[in-house]
Amino acid sequence: MRWLKVGALLVVVGFLLGAAAWMHPFGLPWASDMDDYFIANAQGEAAANNVVTSVVFDYRGFDTLGEATVLLCAVVGVALMLRRITR
Amino acid sequence: MTLWGVLQVLTLVLIVAGAALAVWLKDLLAAVIALAASSLLLSLEFYLLQAPDVAIAEAGIGAALTTAIYILAIRKTRRKEEE
Amino acid sequence: MSVVVRTIARIIVPMILAFGGYVIMHGHLTPGGGFQGGAVVASAVALIVVVFGAERLKRRKTLLSLLEDLGAIAFIALAFLGIGVTFFRNVLAGGGGLFGVPVPPGPNPGFLDTGGTLPLMNWAVGLKVIAGLGSVVVLFGLFGGKDDR
Repeated sequence: MRWLKVGALLVVVGFLLGAAAWMHPFGLPWASDMDDYFIANAQGEAAANNVVTSVVFDYRGFDTLGEATVLLCAVVGVALMLRRITR
Repeated sequence: MTLWGVLQVLTLVLIVAGAALAVWLKDLLAAVIALAASSLLLSLEFYLLQAPDVAIAEAGIGAALTTAIYILAIRKTRRKEEE
Repeated sequence: MSVVVRTIARIIVPMILAFGGYVIMHGHLTPGGGFQGGAVVASAVALIVVVFGAERLKRRKTLLSLLEDLGAIAFIALAFLGIGVTFFRNVLAGGGGLFGVPVPPGPNPGFLDTGGTLPLMNWAVGLKVIAGLGSVVVLFGLFGGKDDR
């Protein structure tokens, strides 16, 4: 059993070291079409300097809606669980 | 190696050290502080990788709110981990 | 908590609130936005709960849940503004009205009156995150027995 654990640990460490050795170069995406489009047109279309905000709230607004829904569900769950106890 | 690379390697090593310390410590309050320090260093690492949005979110959620909730939980229960 | 912690918390809480408000308000110009600024302000609420105890904020629970719903409704209403074209269409951008100044392309110092619906959405999401995370922390602080440490 112990040797099984050591073997599993070795496999995981080897996998991570291999992934680090053959890592994709940082800052060079495989397909950069959408990035180039956002960087070129976000200032003109969404009229904001911060491209990240214009992506989050304008181009990918549905993602933010889902995130807000997740937060609402978490808060409602906590409030339901602790409502009687805390009063 | 440039200064940027040295700072990045140092930050990553300190993150791993903080995480290992959080597992190893028996005093739960000290473990939570180590976890908060690790999270703050992770925020610095995000800033070094030029993602300041994620760095602010990580510093707010990981280093402040999670620590506060853990401290509240420790205050309501025991402080020492049992063997 | 001890006197040292209480004094430092009294000094540092207004600074955290000011920084969070800055991050939300300038979300369309500088790094940050509604979620990040809301998390920063909620960390100030968490500091108050940890240091002074949650009993002090017990009567604010209803206000916090009301603000959460208000933020969610404002966000969805702002998204419905652009339903003439698509959901989440930025109708106010570059229109000359509220937040409607067009941005010159390329690097610029940044103007607060730009962005269309983005600053309003930042405020809506920021309000939602402040109220949501703050009420979660207050509820966790109220849970269980009394603590006098």
